[in-house]
Amino acid sequence: MVVVQRKALTLAERLYLPEVLRGLSLTFRKFFEKPITRQYPEQPLPTDEVTRGQPRLVVKEDGNIACVSCGMCEIACPAYAITIDGGETDRGIEREPKKFEIDMLRCILCGFCEEACPKDAIFMSNELELADYTRAGLVYDLEKLKRPKSALQKRIDYVYRLNDRWRSKQ
Amino acid sequence: MGAFLEDLPLWVQWVAKVAIIFGGLVGTAALMSLAERKVSAWMQFRHGPNRVGPFGLLQPLADGIKFIFKEELIPAGANKFLFRLAPALAAIPSMMTIAVIPIGTIKVGEKEIPFSIAQLDLGIMYMLALGGLSVYGAILGGWASNSKYSLLGGLRASAQMISYELTLILSILVIVALSGSLDLNAIVTAQRENGLWNVFTPFGALAFVLFTIASFAETNRHPFDFAECEPELVGGFHTEYSAMRFALFFLGEYCAMTVMACLNTTLFFGGPSVPLWPEAPWFLGILAFLLKAGFFLFLFIWVRWTLPRFRFDQLMRLGWKVALPIALANLLVVGAWVAFTTPKSS
Repeated sequence: MVVVQRKALTLAERLYLPEVLRGLSLTFRKFFEKPITRQYPEQPLPTDEVTRGQPRLVVKEDGNIACVSCGMCEIACPAYAITIDGGETDRGIEREPKKFEIDMLRCILCGFCEEACPKDAIFMSNELELADYTRAGLVYDLEKLKRPKSALQKRIDYVYRLNDRWRSKQ
Repeated sequence: MGAFLEDLPLWVQWVAKVAIIFGGLVGTAALMSLAERKVSAWMQFRHGPNRVGPFGLLQPLADGIKFIFKEELIPAGANKFLFRLAPALAAIPSMMTIAVIPIGTIKVGEKEIPFSIAQLDLGIMYMLALGGLSVYGAILGGWASNSKYSLLGGLRASAQMISYELTLILSILVIVALSGSLDLNAIVTAQRENGLWNVFTPFGALAFVLFTIASFAETNRHPFDFAECEPELVGGFHTEYSAMRFALFFLGEYCAMTVMACLNTTLFFGGPSVPLWPEAPWFLGILAFLLKAGFFLFLFIWVRWTLPRFRFDQLMRLGWKVALPIALANLLVVGAWVAFTTPKSS
């Protein structure tokens, strides 16, 4: 059993006014301290390569999309956010995605698609903001997901570094 | 310029004074709503409103527009007449009390124009009478809403205001006894002639502390805001109010605070007299008054964001068992002192 001993108040404390003045002096000192609030739209959250933002598709240097619509990410996705429809292409590879949709309202930013991808085609970007007036507008299609490789390079290097830990142990 | 102003008929002077003082009061109340949020924000390491206009200065305007355009709800069981009347009853008396506060004198040429709407011989009586009316706003608002929270808030407001009005009046009476007049102008003049503000006299200092405490309770401010008491009573007497009528309650509260700050300045801090410089030009006097009143307005906010709310029984204990006996004893001693030291005139 816990017995809380009530602290006996001194006369100054029971008079209340000295304590009031003490409190007032405290708030007055804090009055001049710098605010710690982040002014959000002007000062966005700091992000780096570890930030697991929304998934984006890599566009290679030659302008072609890296995705071959194998469907690995579609299967890996625990939230069933990804829908891929592949089709033929003249590029000398078997398939490329004709439709690649990620429902951003379903996406849980887990990064499983990034892990599953065998072609380094999908990576978690540092883009975190998500807003629209309709639900349909938040189902991102191929055009909204494409990012040049240079924009995702830091994340790509980071993922490679992570995976190197397992490779070197063979 | 001076001659032109002197030739103006008297009613122009009156209208101008009413417009300036009343406008200033409402403007101060609006700015106080911003200041409240800004000061609280700074004390809590936040920024406060800073989106509308520079430093958020247009925020009161935006709030006002929003309040006007919001839908007004009246509860089904409410007494509609009293429900509509209550906000006006809360706001108007506190606005009217500013009329007798002597803010200073304006010198135009050789003429001295007193810068207050009315110079009543019974200024203090007028203030207390109207100040006593303002409790009706809270009671009627709470009762007419037909809601348990509102009713409790209204009841508490009335109990609290009645308890602390005694202390308030008794501490004002100390100053009345010291100055020998119920006229606020005479009180200011007496302080100027003595060369000593009432707060620096021993009885005055005690009366000042009591008056300040009672003025917090009278205006329903923290730590005595039992009329609102958000955590227990949702919003107290204004729980059911919305839109402009809700804003009117707050306008009334801020006006009452402003008047209390002005009264505190007048009674205890020499009103428009500049410290250590009795011959200061008139505009410095007005500036001094505004600065002093501004400090007390800041004190209202400062205390609100420092102290937690009392418990209701603690409030009553402080009011009846501590503040009132001290105020009575103070008045008794002052009365005896004045009676024995003043030479008999008859």
